[in-house]
Amino acid sequence: MADLEQLSTNLSDEAGAPEETASLSVRQWLQTNLFSSWTNAILTLLGGFATLLMLRGVLNFVFSENREWDAVRTNLRALMTLSYPESQYVRVWVTLGFVAGLTGLSAGIWANWGGVSVKRMSTWLMGAGGLIALCVVVREPSVITDVEGKAIRAIDGSLQRESFFAAMSDRLGWWIAAVLLLAAGGAIWARYSDVARRNAQIPVTTVVVWGLGLATLSLWLVPYGHYAFAGGEYIAEPGRRVAFSTQMPWTVMWLLLVSSFFVGRSLRETRWHAFAKGASNLLWLLSPMTLFWVVLRDPALDYAHVLSTDLPMGLAFGLLGGAVLWVLTRVDVGEAGRLSAVGLLGFAVFNWVAAFFGWYPMLQKARISFLLLALAALLAPNFIGEIAKRRQLIIGWLSAMALVHYLATMINTPSTVELQSSEFLGGLGLTLFVALIVVLLSFPLGVLLALGRTSKFPIFRILSTSYIEVIRGVPLISVLIFFSVMVPLFLPDGMELAELAAVLTGYTLFSAAYLAENVRGGLQSVTKGQYEAADAIGLTAAQRTGFIVLPQALRVSIPQLVGQVIATFKETSLLAIIGLFDFLRVANSVIPAQSEFMGVKREGILLVAMIYFFFNFTISKYSQRLERRVGLGER
Amino acid sequence: MNTDDGTTVTSDRLADRDDMIVCVDVDKWYGDFQALKGVTATIKEGEVAVVCGPSGSGKSTWIRCINRLEVHQGGDIVVDGIELTNDLRNIEKVRSEVGMVFQQFNLFPHLTVLDNITLAPIWVRKRPRAEAETMATALLERVGIPEQAEKFPGQLSGGQQQRVAIARSLAMEPRVMLFDEPTSALDPEMIKEVLDVMKELARSGITMMVVTHEMGFAREVADRIMFMEGGEIVEVGTPEHFFTNPTEDRTKLFMSQIL
Repeated sequence: MADLEQLSTNLSDEAGAPEETASLSVRQWLQTNLFSSWTNAILTLLGGFATLLMLRGVLNFVFSENREWDAVRTNLRALMTLSYPESQYVRVWVTLGFVAGLTGLSAGIWANWGGVSVKRMSTWLMGAGGLIALCVVVREPSVITDVEGKAIRAIDGSLQRESFFAAMSDRLGWWIAAVLLLAAGGAIWARYSDVARRNAQIPVTTVVVWGLGLATLSLWLVPYGHYAFAGGEYIAEPGRRVAFSTQMPWTVMWLLLVSSFFVGRSLRETRWHAFAKGASNLLWLLSPMTLFWVVLRDPALDYAHVLSTDLPMGLAFGLLGGAVLWVLTRVDVGEAGRLSAVGLLGFAVFNWVAAFFGWYPMLQKARISFLLLALAALLAPNFIGEIAKRRQLIIGWLSAMALVHYLATMINTPSTVELQSSEFLGGLGLTLFVALIVVLLSFPLGVLLALGRTSKFPIFRILSTSYIEVIRGVPLISVLIFFSVMVPLFLPDGMELAELAAVLTGYTLFSAAYLAENVRGGLQSVTKGQYEAADAIGLTAAQRTGFIVLPQALRVSIPQLVGQVIATFKETSLLAIIGLFDFLRVANSVIPAQSEFMGVKREGILLVAMIYFFFNFTISKYSQRLERRVGLGER
Repeated sequence: MNTDDGTTVTSDRLADRDDMIVCVDVDKWYGDFQALKGVTATIKEGEVAVVCGPSGSGKSTWIRCINRLEVHQGGDIVVDGIELTNDLRNIEKVRSEVGMVFQQFNLFPHLTVLDNITLAPIWVRKRPRAEAETMATALLERVGIPEQAEKFPGQLSGGQQQRVAIARSLAMEPRVMLFDEPTSALDPEMIKEVLDVMKELARSGITMMVVTHEMGFAREVADRIMFMEGGEIVEVGTPEHFFTNPTEDRTKLFMSQIL
């Protein structure tokens, strides 16, 4: 303590720099922030006491003798993927591995992650150690049990507990952890004694790589959990632990994450940087669909049909559509280009309407392709001119067609994975998948709706406004029920919608309405001067929206958009209402129905809450970084 | 009618082919309030015209009508032989010929200075990026801030921002530059740096129409000064005429107040 004070006085003497005010000694900090007056001191003490009581309550709940954490440990696999067959589990790992690799790559390419100061690292470590020590002390001593495991009661009927000292010695493992953390933090603090070195930054990426590495290593050392249920049976064999079934895959995940991160980072300095950025973005957009429907679902392809129908159709749309776009981007196309684009759009919309009335059957893929062609034709005027630009459009079109036809073929092919329930995935896997797809799809739709609502054209404005108001006036549950139960009744013959696809559609439409309102708030913050400046330099309305208005509007609405993403993620638990087994439902109704863990709910729900919190807290933290990086509030 | 170089002139009232901006009986209402009352004026190619007058006299409204940021309800406006009507193609054409500098700069805060300048050349003029960037660098040199290319507008002073705004307009290689009170939002010590750039521009022979209260600037570089009040052009003349013996009483009053 004396050292510290010495340090801070030295500092202010030497540098006199105002930014060093943070380095108050602990006593000074306490004095200025917690005990500055006697009322504040009382508030501090009361608050501290309340916090301790709360902590004690939580700890007593978590470590109570009545808790059956085995229920969670045994069911880890069910919580993650529910009934996905064990023999096919390699597909789950491939999916995760792809995501890990892509995450590492993007992190390497994109972000300048900044650093954590040595000082902060050591404070964190010491803080964690101190917290563990506090928890060990605060938690009530355990109840004494007899040989049969029943709690021994005193004469007056109250539970008999160990003595305080016996409890402390029982918790030796925790003490060791606390002391190790405190020692590590203290050692760093002592090692880097001079101020400059203490404020030196350790890259965040280094901390994350080592942290995850240690977590992976612990799988090899500590036997986490029992083995899981397989085929509805509890197979907790001694020596077979969850950790040992997953240590190899997790190590591979870690290696993938780290190596792709370094690959991404080495790309930053090369001429491939822009290409890598584009490619990683594209992969993020495409991978959820592909991973879910192709990797996890393993469609049984009928190659004869693929060769005779699917492939020729895709080729026809790609090549003929490409030819149309090539003509539409000629310099001399003039008004004819706009007219043909509008004509195509009309035809595409007619196709959809016709399908709903059952006027003529048309393959879903063709309908989607026509719509995409119309949209590409609308964009075409932006690519008029140089050959290079026209080629960009054509390449974009060909890849879009390849992707759409590929995915549509895969989705329409039945799965080979042996299913135990109607929807083959459940648990955290389903929750994350639904959240990701809904966020990805509702984002562009929400932006379009917001633009429609602020548009000068009355028809767009009225349609968007009524859509948004109707959806916002209806509870999510009713939208989900409508799409899972009612929509299939209205569909014409030959048009089917898988339950999950129906739900995704409904949820996306719902989420888009809310996103639209958030984006609209951002749009209103863009000043009239920005529109005028964009007009004055001759930008078209589409360019003005894309380059000037939307970037600024989205930037302003980051906090609300992130709030909406978090809400979407959490509300996936409503999927349980229409019969899907999401993460929460597994904890709430699947585990308590097992004969070994009849009625054991609280443990699972606590774990689910913690995992939800982990994800949402990460999103929230990342959005704070994002806000700082785009300089929100600096204008 | 057709001029000898084949350009189609869309208004038969346009007499001379070196007329850059022609306004005939331009009327503009905001609801019941008439902001412009039959404004008629012609600005020749290469001319520097300064529009002055008390606030609320319709100067800004008029200059904003010339690139259709405001829509006029009566009369005709012809810019470089193109009549401004509801036809989007004409408006796009006029806007790519006419640069505009605003009182509040209106730079794009999310783009760097360089991106602010190159955006329109790349997307409207379809220039390759490298070429646009070379031109932008040259323009920044011309307005005296070549070292600020990678900064964001928020990191620049008002005077620097306005000079970037001028460079942004020049990047479209316009035939006409409109200035809507370019120095009114600036601190006094920054006004000079912007006026210097504008003087250099005026000498380069580009057609300029400037709404301003800077009478020193008007006296030095203007070919003509137009005095507006109540939505009308009250008096037109050379700077010498304005500063020595203005004819109209309202002009005399204004000049005595402003000098």
